[in-house]
Amino acid sequence: MKMKRRLSTGSLLLDLVLLIVAIIMVAPLVWLISSSLSDPADAFSLPPTWIPNPLSLQNFKDVPGLIPFGQMALNSLVVATVSTVGSLFVSVLAAYAFSRLSFRGNRVIFVGMLSALMVPVQLTIIPVFVLFRNLDVVDTLTALWLPALINVFAIFFLRQYFNSIPRELDDAATIDGAGHLWILFRILVPLSGPALSALAILTFEASWNNYFGPLIFISSPENMTLPLGLVTLQGGQGGSPAVVVFAAITLVVLPVLILFLLFQRAFVESIATAGIRG
Amino acid sequence: MTAASAPQVLAAGEQQPAKPTSVHHKRQALYGYAFISPAVVLFVAFIAGPMVFAIGLSFVAWDLLTPSQFVGLDNFARLVNDPLFGKAFGTTFVFAFASVVTHIVGGLLLALAANRVMTRALSYFLRTAVFFPFLISWAAVALLWKYILDPTFGLVAYYLSKIGITAPSWFSDPSWSLPAIVGIDFWHTIGFTFVILLAGLQTVPSTLVEAARTDGANTWQVFWHVTLPMMSPTVFFATVITFIGAFQIFEPMQIITGGGPDNSTMSIVMYLYQNGFQSFQVGYASAIAIVVFAVIMGVTILQFCFSRRWVHEQ
Repeated sequence: MKMKRRLSTGSLLLDLVLLIVAIIMVAPLVWLISSSLSDPADAFSLPPTWIPNPLSLQNFKDVPGLIPFGQMALNSLVVATVSTVGSLFVSVLAAYAFSRLSFRGNRVIFVGMLSALMVPVQLTIIPVFVLFRNLDVVDTLTALWLPALINVFAIFFLRQYFNSIPRELDDAATIDGAGHLWILFRILVPLSGPALSALAILTFEASWNNYFGPLIFISSPENMTLPLGLVTLQGGQGGSPAVVVFAAITLVVLPVLILFLLFQRAFVESIATAGIRG
Repeated sequence: MTAASAPQVLAAGEQQPAKPTSVHHKRQALYGYAFISPAVVLFVAFIAGPMVFAIGLSFVAWDLLTPSQFVGLDNFARLVNDPLFGKAFGTTFVFAFASVVTHIVGGLLLALAANRVMTRALSYFLRTAVFFPFLISWAAVALLWKYILDPTFGLVAYYLSKIGITAPSWFSDPSWSLPAIVGIDFWHTIGFTFVILLAGLQTVPSTLVEAARTDGANTWQVFWHVTLPMMSPTVFFATVITFIGAFQIFEPMQIITGGGPDNSTMSIVMYLYQNGFQSFQVGYASAIAIVVFAVIMGVTILQFCFSRRWVHEQ
């Protein structure tokens, strides 16, 4: 009896500590959003205003005057979508070959690709920059999505997943006269939903947030993606007003937050199951 | 896992065509090559080829405009004698060490505290609040924190002054700039460590914990002798992943400090970027990239050897 009570006070105390931790974690984002919704004159007043009064959308209206925000958002969307769909397509084909087809070199090529998981992007980026300069694709969106089409981790992850799907399913389809493309896209792909959605989330998120690639390859504002565009806000011409920068950051963070709140389980599971990032 | 499952799969694959005709075999091989060809072409163009090219570049002096010059091992000799590279190397290791310690200790504490009966609302709020910053791009995180840590109108300075502490001006004080970035990085990526460690913690059988409790072990003893050893592979994995990520730290330096003040936040990748893409010393930058690669490869091989030992022990 006594022990139980001690335990529950301890438990209550721990709840309180966790609540404070959670509040500290969200405080920066609350401050971000409430400042960006404040009247430009009231923003950043001390003590901090946690609930903007009066509410104002002026800061958001000022963003497009400083950077081509709409164009940048579109670029981000195009690059992330093409990277995700394209890399999944390339990976699914390769994973099927490595998992199901016997051909000379299967294992050697697979292990060779796998060992490249250790190669950091910083090692390859200078030669890729030289290559793109020769192909004349520097400062185009192609330079951003083309290298993203090869995703060794996705190939590895999908091969493991395909290996866990019973081969009897393929055999039955083969007897019915199905070809490899049919088996892959009509049997294995539909059975690999969790793996594919986890990879899609990770790939899209990595592309959407990528800063290093655009920094190297892109120079014109109209070809920039959002992360790089955001940073130019503070640099150019003496820097932009902080509230407008905040409004722009909010516009970048808010869609991610909404998607996350809607599909939280899928996000967290994709990290927990396939939690290795480039 | 790879090593264990691959031979079985291959064995099954060899059994599968009961009596393969040579036509059947050829057809399968043809499909095999066709299916891997996009991946192989892209792999050669964007990973294997550039890697070989980068190794070659480390032996030349080149500014991307005038013809390159073979200089042998000069770039590596320069690395050894470059005090700024030495400083960046040391700073990066200090950062990575601080990042690993804060993430693992913080992540373990959070996971242990969260892995028990809680009200649904608190559990949801905690997981959302801790995990979400991980999904925000470094660009947004760095810009936001630059303002949060502003000495005049920032949140941190204000609340510290409330409890009687004068906040340093983080990014102009060489002794506070790196700790500030350690803190920002913690806020940004602790959610990842938390999710990984919580998943590992949930694989520890509760019967073991209960058995230890019945035998009279206290909370600390249960954690130290039962829980931690049982989840050690997960902790080790999280450590390696955190270290590799931290060793490549770049964005907050590039966006907030530019490596300063007084080079106190000059990381290796920041230094690589400055040499390769600002002063266009491509050969020297490639030599730096090879050092980064060597460290990551070393840590990965270490992980492979250790995790193998652990798998056998279990």
